[in-house]
Amino acid sequence: MPLALTVNGEVRLSNAGPMTPLLDILREEFQLTGAKPVCREGFCGACMVLRDGRPILSCLTPAGLVEGSDICTIEGLSPGGTLTPLQDALESHDAVQCGMCFPGMVITLTHALRRTHDLTDAEVRQALVGNICRCTGYERIVAAALAIAAAHGPEAARDG
Amino acid sequence: MSIFSPLVLHQPASISEAVALLAAGGRDCAPLAGGTWIMRAPIRHEAPPPVFVSLSKISALSAIAISEERVELGAAVTHAALAEAVAGYPDLQVLAEAAGRSANPAIRATATIGGNLCTTSFPAADLLPALLSLDAEVDLARSQGRERLSLEVFLERRAALVPGWLLTRVVVPREAGRSAHARLPLRKAGDYPVAIVSVAIRLCERDRVTKACVAIGAVETVARRWRSLEAVLLGEPVDPERAGAAAERLLYEITGREGIEAPGWYRVHVLPSLVRRAMAGIAESLSSGNSRPCRSP
Amino acid sequence: MVDPADTVMNFRRRDARDKLTGRTRFTIDRFPAGLLHGAVLRAGVASGILRKLDVSRAATMPGVRAVVTAGDAPGRIGIGIADHPLFVVDRVRYHGEPLAAIAADTFDQAQAALAAIVFDIAPMPAVLDMEAALAAEAPLVHPDWRSYEVLFAGGARGGNVAWEATAVRGDVDAAFARPDVTIVDSAFRVGRQNHVAFEPRAAIAAFEDGRLHIETSTQVPWTVRNGTARLLGIRASAVRVTVPPVGGGFGLKFDLAIEPFAALLARKSGRPVRLVNSREEEMLTCLFRENAEIRIRSAVTKAGEILGREAVVLMDCGAYGGEQIFLTTMTAHTLGGNYRVGATRLVSRAIYTNTAPNGAFRACNGVYNTFALERHTDEIAAAIGMDPLAFRRRNVLGDGALGATGQIFEGDVLGPMLDRMAELRADAPDLVPGDDGRLYGRATTVGTWFVFVGPSAATVNMNADGSATLVTSGVEIGSGSTMQALPQIVAGVLGIRPDDVVVRSADTDAAGYDVGVGGGRTTVSLGAASLKAATEVRGKLLAVAAAMMDVAPDDLVMRDGRIERPGANRYGYSIAEVAARAQALQGPVAGTGAFTGQGVKAMVGCAAGHFLDAIDIPVFAVHDCDVAVDRETGHVEVLGYRVVQDVGRALNPSAVGGQIQGGVVQGLGYALHEDVTIGSDGCVRQSGFETYRLPLAGDVVPVAISLYEGAPSSGPLGTKGAGEVPILNVGATVACAVANATGLRVQELPLTPPRVLERLLGRKPDLAFPHIAERWADNLLHPHGQSTGSGDGG
Repeated sequence: MPLALTVNGEVRLSNAGPMTPLLDILREEFQLTGAKPVCREGFCGACMVLRDGRPILSCLTPAGLVEGSDICTIEGLSPGGTLTPLQDALESHDAVQCGMCFPGMVITLTHALRRTHDLTDAEVRQALVGNICRCTGYERIVAAALAIAAAHGPEAARDG
Repeated sequence: MSIFSPLVLHQPASISEAVALLAAGGRDCAPLAGGTWIMRAPIRHEAPPPVFVSLSKISALSAIAISEERVELGAAVTHAALAEAVAGYPDLQVLAEAAGRSANPAIRATATIGGNLCTTSFPAADLLPALLSLDAEVDLARSQGRERLSLEVFLERRAALVPGWLLTRVVVPREAGRSAHARLPLRKAGDYPVAIVSVAIRLCERDRVTKACVAIGAVETVARRWRSLEAVLLGEPVDPERAGAAAERLLYEITGREGIEAPGWYRVHVLPSLVRRAMAGIAESLSSGNSRPCRSP
Repeated sequence: MVDPADTVMNFRRRDARDKLTGRTRFTIDRFPAGLLHGAVLRAGVASGILRKLDVSRAATMPGVRAVVTAGDAPGRIGIGIADHPLFVVDRVRYHGEPLAAIAADTFDQAQAALAAIVFDIAPMPAVLDMEAALAAEAPLVHPDWRSYEVLFAGGARGGNVAWEATAVRGDVDAAFARPDVTIVDSAFRVGRQNHVAFEPRAAIAAFEDGRLHIETSTQVPWTVRNGTARLLGIRASAVRVTVPPVGGGFGLKFDLAIEPFAALLARKSGRPVRLVNSREEEMLTCLFRENAEIRIRSAVTKAGEILGREAVVLMDCGAYGGEQIFLTTMTAHTLGGNYRVGATRLVSRAIYTNTAPNGAFRACNGVYNTFALERHTDEIAAAIGMDPLAFRRRNVLGDGALGATGQIFEGDVLGPMLDRMAELRADAPDLVPGDDGRLYGRATTVGTWFVFVGPSAATVNMNADGSATLVTSGVEIGSGSTMQALPQIVAGVLGIRPDDVVVRSADTDAAGYDVGVGGGRTTVSLGAASLKAATEVRGKLLAVAAAMMDVAPDDLVMRDGRIERPGANRYGYSIAEVAARAQALQGPVAGTGAFTGQGVKAMVGCAAGHFLDAIDIPVFAVHDCDVAVDRETGHVEVLGYRVVQDVGRALNPSAVGGQIQGGVVQGLGYALHEDVTIGSDGCVRQSGFETYRLPLAGDVVPVAISLYEGAPSSGPLGTKGAGEVPILNVGATVACAVANATGLRVQELPLTPPRVLERLLGRKPDLAFPHIAERWADNLLHPHGQSTGSGDGG
């Protein structure tokens, strides 16, 4: 019986076995190549997607375990190419270089900012412990997240 | 597409069903909890068994119950859920730190207690020394019944257990007053610690230590209690410097594991500092009030 | 005519949106119809004789469409020396060396077929480090080294010495013999560094109309084109290379990699073949920044004058010469840089070992020679009792100073940059050592780097709608040069918005030759070619507009998308109108531009075996940092970091700032975390991210940056390369700060906690190199200046 996966709001069928990493199905069957296979062991975060709103490592997730969950990939986060406020902040902070890590960075920070509106610098860095960037040296990514936190957080002024 | 594609995945809804599947599958079958270790089999050049039994649909395995006397944790409770549940309890601080700082957030949201305890080839698991310091016990289910073992005994036996068993629950008696977890990653965070010291103590009149449990992790191939150090701490006040000095004198008992990330001598050498840091954490917790009354066993 | 200031802006990169929304298709994201999957079988021993290789059973396995081995690729490639075959021919020289490649319908089928290949390798003694390679009677990695084709003459060679370059100026013996000098002798060692480009090396090859089309993640499309042809024994024009967005390079992709395997499999199967390295393959065979060993001695007066200096630099090239043969050149310009020195002699030797080949990595050679030179400088200052900063101020290169090869430096740059650093430090809050028991220290270092100028070509097509299309072989590897600097330059010349400059992605069928994206050369070399091409277009448009308006071209200005007469009434035409008119009258307007380095002179006889006797465009850097060292665990924490960088002119200060922050953090990884060790089996031990520790967000600090503009540069609009140099003196600065904090003689990088603690505990003696001879001249295959003719120094 094929796997029925709900990806970006659509039910899609896959003939892959249930232990197949979700990442491979997303990329190779569904052509959703935003999530990247980089380390395939859960250290880099480049393969992250949201499962019911929470970041998961799609490289370490058997697809059979996420039937019935809502999977949102980076492509589904900004349908029609409209940037989310976080993506917009990352663009305006001139944060992007090679771009391979950003799908995962955006997934992690989207969740972190939803969970805690007024993230501190230390909290952003803790949230990013599982998202490696080899190009940028992180600071603009952190600054962009803090800009969103300052704009949307109820205690925006706390960390100035 | 991947070596995982042809594998079979069962998703039973009850422990008994899971245990039956495991017994039937024998060596060709393994439980699948968070999967963060199993799914890395290709990285280790291991062939996974052909059949997995997922625990994720068994709600009992994700239960957490905290009472005055004990904490009961389903084996499929994740590190993140555990850290959140035990936050703020001074006696369970060691668990909060172990579960809340291991690996990285996405791994913590997936990796389970049971997986941490059952992965024989992972010496740097944070929960092992933490649970050892709390004298935890584990429940094993088999098709022919259940048994409860101390975690220490389980760790000795786990590699030799006959297939068909399932670790279902971890029971932590709340006998400690204070606890702390000192771990040493090589970066600020994000890597497996090269050494871990978990300490849980109980204090009575005049703030003397009446019970001390110290466990070390990552230093040797399997976490274990450091009983000679525990003996030294008994009857004394909480004194980080003295505890560190005592650890220093007992280092000869420990042979560090050689590893790519750190040599054996290094893992051993940093232990007194970690003992001091753990005891300092306990001292700080004591001085900040919020004390938990001392209960007789 | 063109005001460079019009080109300066913080223009945002056009590729950011797609990268942020996951829509960018890197090479690894492309799965064309009919695709086969490739896989490479690799040797599991460091040294051996291949006695048997039988692919017959593998070829009949399910799904297998092609199997290729050494017989399919007769050529050898290399830089300087053609020593590198694609597959093991008869001798295995490193753990991981390719034996065969297979294409199959699925990746799993390809893997299964690899397992069915039967082979037999008789193990041979291996040399796994440079000490072993240089020992008397050491087994030779290349017993046939004399038979290899020499592609660039001049270097001494012999046995396990793949290449030797020397730079000698003045009488060093006389300087060391003076009675009034203090002699300071230092030794240093560094490990390898892995680039960890997030996109692994990946290629998709197809055989179309009798030619190969390779779509690949590379920095050097022309090197891939020419090298693949050489290995396969076909005409270079029979290979076309195109390059999608590249997910990180850092020098990793500055050489041919897996493209020829994909090409061979595509030719043989007649189907497109996708080949992507696994992360493990990347970790084990990545063309690392090389490990190196350095001995450096100086004769210095009490007043702080450096009268004489000599050094031996050993660079491990691994099993094949590759980039290291070229990089022996750089010692003269890095270790030989920074300071005014009386007499100098330097030897730089690339050594063969039975380990994975090394390659290029951002500021190649410079990072460890700067580490060695700056730590040595601090040891000198301590030996003569002078403040290290005062010593640097006294000695840094200034206008008219001589380099190691006798090149004359122009302008006072490092001195004013040190002043600028003093201002930057003054702006920073004073660091108050905490009462946490840690040891606190700081350091300031200087560094000398260059721009790897070389041939570049550009075409600008002016479109009748007022937009321009820039066609080059430039690749976007993430640094943004082709997204920001290049369109800015073209737009500045043409008076249009950079948004209206379309930048064609690299295609060797569309654009002329280019050395590649690396060496800080994109903005300079491709920029200069683009500037020339745009200037030709500008001239043509102005001529047409002048005719339309019946004025002289010199009376017109091009700005804001218009060609007009200066003045308040803005009489003139839109550039689109002029371009349309020009197209109707003469045909479409286009311009071409070409560039290569001008070739700065060295002193005759100073350099031997060098690919570049002098550096065309020097680039300087001053770094400063504060550290705290945990004496119980050996952990080093960087508390603050500052950079003053010589950029010539910053066309896009925001982009340069991004490169500096990223480069410094990569340098922090090199200085503190990223350790590569080789096991007794010759295999790199760090096979993944668990053991190869990259800096994370919590490990880094925001870098305070000051861009130093106005230093002389022959680059277009006065620019210099800005993306490569930020990593240059990070290892040096952290090492000097740790030495200052602890009082230790810091001699090795990376400063991992175990390595620091070992020294703090006094458990590790100072470095000693038995394979570096006491007398400098005894380290040479031939005396400097003795011609080696064919390059054969045996």
